[in-house]
Amino acid sequence: MKLFQGTIRALHQMLVDREISSVELTESVLGQIDAVGRETHAYLAVTRDLALHQARAADARIREGDRVRPLTGIPIAIKDVLCVEGVPATAGSRILEGFVPPYSATVVERLATEGAVFLGKTNCDEFAMGSSNENSGYRPVHNPWDLDRVPGGSSGGSAAAVASGEAVAALGSDTGGSIRQPAALTGTVGMKPTYGRVSRYGLIAFASSLDQVGPITRDVADCAVLLQAIAGHDARDSTSSPRPVPDYLAGLDGGVHGMRLGVPKEYFVSGMEPEVERAVRSAIEVYQRLGATIEEVSLPHSDVALPAYYIIAPAEASSNLARYDGARYGVQAGGGRNVIEEYELTRQQGFGAEVKRRIMLGTYALSSGYYDAFYLKAQKVRTLIIEDFQRAFEQVDALLGATSPTVAFPLGAKTQDPVAMYLNDIITIPANLGNVCGISVPCGLANGLPIGLQVLAPGYREDVALRVAQAFESATEFNRARSPLVGSAA
Amino acid sequence: MIATKYEVVVGLEVHAQIKTESKMFCGCSTDYLAAAPNANTCPVCLGLPGSLPVINRKAVEATIRTALALHCEIPEFSKFDRKNYFYPDLPKGYQISQYDLPFSRNGYLEFDVKGEPGRCGITRVHLEEDTGKLLHAGAIEQAQSSLINLNRAGVPLMEIVSEPDLRTADEAREYVMRLRAILQYIGVNDGNMESGQLRCDANVSLRPVGAKELGTKVEVKNMNSFRAIHRAILYEIVRQTEVLDAAGRLAQETRGWNDARGLTVSQRSKELAEDYRYFPEPDLPPLEVSRAWVGQIKAGLPELPAARRDRLVADFGLSAYDASVLTSSKPMAEYFEETVRLGAPAKTAANWILGDFSRFLNADHKEIQDSAIQPAHLQQLIALVETSAISGKMAKQTFDEMYRAADPGPALDAAKRSRQISGDAELEAIVDQVIAQNEKSVADFKGGKQQALGFLVGQAMKLSKGRANPERLNALLRAKIQ
Amino acid sequence: MPENEPELSSDEVRHVARLARLGITPEEVTRFRDQLRNILHAIEALNRADTSRVPATAHPLEQRNVMREDERQPSLSIEAALQNAPSVEDGYFKVKAIQE
Ligand SMILES: [Mg+2]
Ligand SMILES: [Zn+2]
Repeated sequence: MKLFQGTIRALHQMLVDREISSVELTESVLGQIDAVGRETHAYLAVTRDLALHQARAADARIREGDRVRPLTGIPIAIKDVLCVEGVPATAGSRILEGFVPPYSATVVERLATEGAVFLGKTNCDEFAMGSSNENSGYRPVHNPWDLDRVPGGSSGGSAAAVASGEAVAALGSDTGGSIRQPAALTGTVGMKPTYGRVSRYGLIAFASSLDQVGPITRDVADCAVLLQAIAGHDARDSTSSPRPVPDYLAGLDGGVHGMRLGVPKEYFVSGMEPEVERAVRSAIEVYQRLGATIEEVSLPHSDVALPAYYIIAPAEASSNLARYDGARYGVQAGGGRNVIEEYELTRQQGFGAEVKRRIMLGTYALSSGYYDAFYLKAQKVRTLIIEDFQRAFEQVDALLGATSPTVAFPLGAKTQDPVAMYLNDIITIPANLGNVCGISVPCGLANGLPIGLQVLAPGYREDVALRVAQAFESATEFNRARSPLVGSAA
Repeated sequence: MIATKYEVVVGLEVHAQIKTESKMFCGCSTDYLAAAPNANTCPVCLGLPGSLPVINRKAVEATIRTALALHCEIPEFSKFDRKNYFYPDLPKGYQISQYDLPFSRNGYLEFDVKGEPGRCGITRVHLEEDTGKLLHAGAIEQAQSSLINLNRAGVPLMEIVSEPDLRTADEAREYVMRLRAILQYIGVNDGNMESGQLRCDANVSLRPVGAKELGTKVEVKNMNSFRAIHRAILYEIVRQTEVLDAAGRLAQETRGWNDARGLTVSQRSKELAEDYRYFPEPDLPPLEVSRAWVGQIKAGLPELPAARRDRLVADFGLSAYDASVLTSSKPMAEYFEETVRLGAPAKTAANWILGDFSRFLNADHKEIQDSAIQPAHLQQLIALVETSAISGKMAKQTFDEMYRAADPGPALDAAKRSRQISGDAELEAIVDQVIAQNEKSVADFKGGKQQALGFLVGQAMKLSKGRANPERLNALLRAKIQ
Repeated sequence: MPENEPELSSDEVRHVARLARLGITPEEVTRFRDQLRNILHAIEALNRADTSRVPATAHPLEQRNVMREDERQPSLSIEAALQNAPSVEDGYFKVKAIQE
């Protein structure tokens, strides 16, 4: 097996057994980036020197048996919406070209303390606004399973990196499905933790009341390990939860025997590809065989989650993106006759079409005369969605459904039709509005393209989501499929 | 001067920075005046991507403290909102402020104009963050570029909004003076208007006497002294009266007070379409203001100006007017009480402080705490007059010299010495008289009772109206009765 | 989308762009207008939900009164604060004049 194909846990064992060094491992992954990076465009910046420096430090730690942690020496990719001190951060936008943050995100600091190795910043939709990565201000990411297709978004670079062996694991961010949907489309495991579970300090904001940082990995156990490292209270993020973080590995293999699993009928949306539905239905049968009781449940307001999301997220974004005026950082257009013109030119040239669309939509929704009809109404709908989940979780322990109604689609297929593009997130968005946690795990292939199974669990019950996902993963072979770019796992 | 057919309606918006160590939402220092440009900044107050605010508890408590001092209701639930607008001094493109659920509502402030009691409703006191400061090469109109210093960005700022209850420029000035005093008393703000610690905007409108609905409102900005507030409002009243008398229509606009030229000038508003798109700040959980918390804060309130005024009237028999002026500034009230504690008669001390002293200070735009004359100096000067060692006229001259000098000491000593009797002839006469009138003490002294001498010296001093040279007096007495 | 709202107009698009400080070309006005109209149509689905009995959720948060003590933390160095600024003068950020 080539090192870059390994999982965190297997590689960790090899590192502590001194079979391999972190430098060897890191060079193997960097080699794969050199080999396939030009095809996937998974990265916006590769921090080769930093990575090798951290790898040497990790090897020293392991040699001295000094604070050896599960991630010590493990090469990880970081979505370019997270700040790493001294490393350029663009959020996939031209307006931030050349911006070098003077501070690091809390999650980045936590990984650094663990002794993880930073490979670089992964490509993403501009300010995490997109479901295909085609909104990257730099270049689209190509799906390692079929280079003519999208990897999903907005964390498409992180997902593609893990799927192509260009990273052992990666951090993404999920506002409406931006971790789970690309994970589904790239055959990786991706989790959106409960809002408040992981610090947002240093995460370049898209929609502040919805954004969450989360892991994208090769399997569920790795997902648990990475989540363990980043979860927990942070005094610098007033919205982070003080709840204690459980041991996510402890109950991981507990199985689903006797568990009640719900299947929301609304999640088999119209327009869902038959192969996707078939794969999800057979996944449900697997759970039945594993001794779970399956119940159909209803989340009656699922159909209004998407419209509510497309008010709330753009509204918050229109405010969060007001700071990009070219005065303190980023690119200044020049040529304006006064500061107002300068702002308008800078933002006109710096932002891409989708970001402008959402800024306009959000500004409109908040503007006087429309606030109640749009923003307030959407917030009330949000309450209904929260209540839907509360009712469902009185009945069942977790919910099962597809992550995305479709498999990866060809580049350019939906770029002309924003509304069609927005439909990609129709099944992932409710979890963000309802503030539950969710994970996507591979559950099959449709003509060589990965399909994702989504498991939703109540707020702060990531342990439950992981356990349910783990039960499926270990009972099936789907997780062993690898994209052509990495070759099959040994 | 003002046509009486219009009723003047004034409401004030006062922005007061809160005295804290660190900023509203980050740990940067608040002393922006001292620091080099942009030295007190961090990812949060620079509005860097990814940074998040964390509420400064002391700023919240100072706001509630102020609201309580202004008799406001404190709702049990409050939150922060984003006020969205673009301006170079606003790093995030929005100001974190409070919109529909401020920390307080419905209070009032009492003041008096020349002894006449007045009261103005307080609509709300809310908490927000200050903006940075812009520097323009020359006048803002001609400047080619603006320079941004963000040291002030994020300094905690209270906005105290009054009801449109004020009817004259005098009332407006008194309102701000009294408000400033309260802020000083409760220690949330030092009340320095020049430095921008305390800023006042006025909404001025006129309406026909008896009319119910308000006239067109004009917002007057940058008045940074009590005098400026008074002059600016007077100016607006006259200007608006003239426009209305000429059957003209007033524009609803923002006008800036130009102190040098003594007039208000129409300003372009910063946001042409003023649509702030307020919405709840998603980065900050809301606040539940428990009654227990409010109780704690209330318990910590010190004596307020009104109470102190009543005490000065009761304890020292001052007139309500004198007492209210004395208490309108905390340092002045403390100066007065210290002078009295040192032995000066209250009324006399009050007359000095409210008379010459205040006149000099006002002329120099200074505060009593800025003067070199300490309560001890004033008390000694008063004593000289009381013992008629010097005349009132001379005392005024002396005070003038004391005030102008860097050290009031010499002028005061000169006054003490000025009319001392050192001539032996004159002193002997006094000494003889004392000896004649106090045979018993003389006998006591001869009997060895040293302290009797002290008594005799005292009598002689009295006889000399405190003008006798103590050393000579002593010598002569000893010589005569030994 | 209050019921029977007139369709989003080009003037509204210009006004919104102005509020958002987004420069916008005449072609963009038309394109954004049409795209936003479609999106707003899709969003009209919101009206299907009966929200008469529920409060608004600004936040899924359970925590309240999250505050820090009034303590100073080190600021950035002036160099670090200015390092990303496109235009700087004497330690200040420099922008075009407020008025033309
Ligand atoms: Mg304000
Ligand atoms: Zn700061």
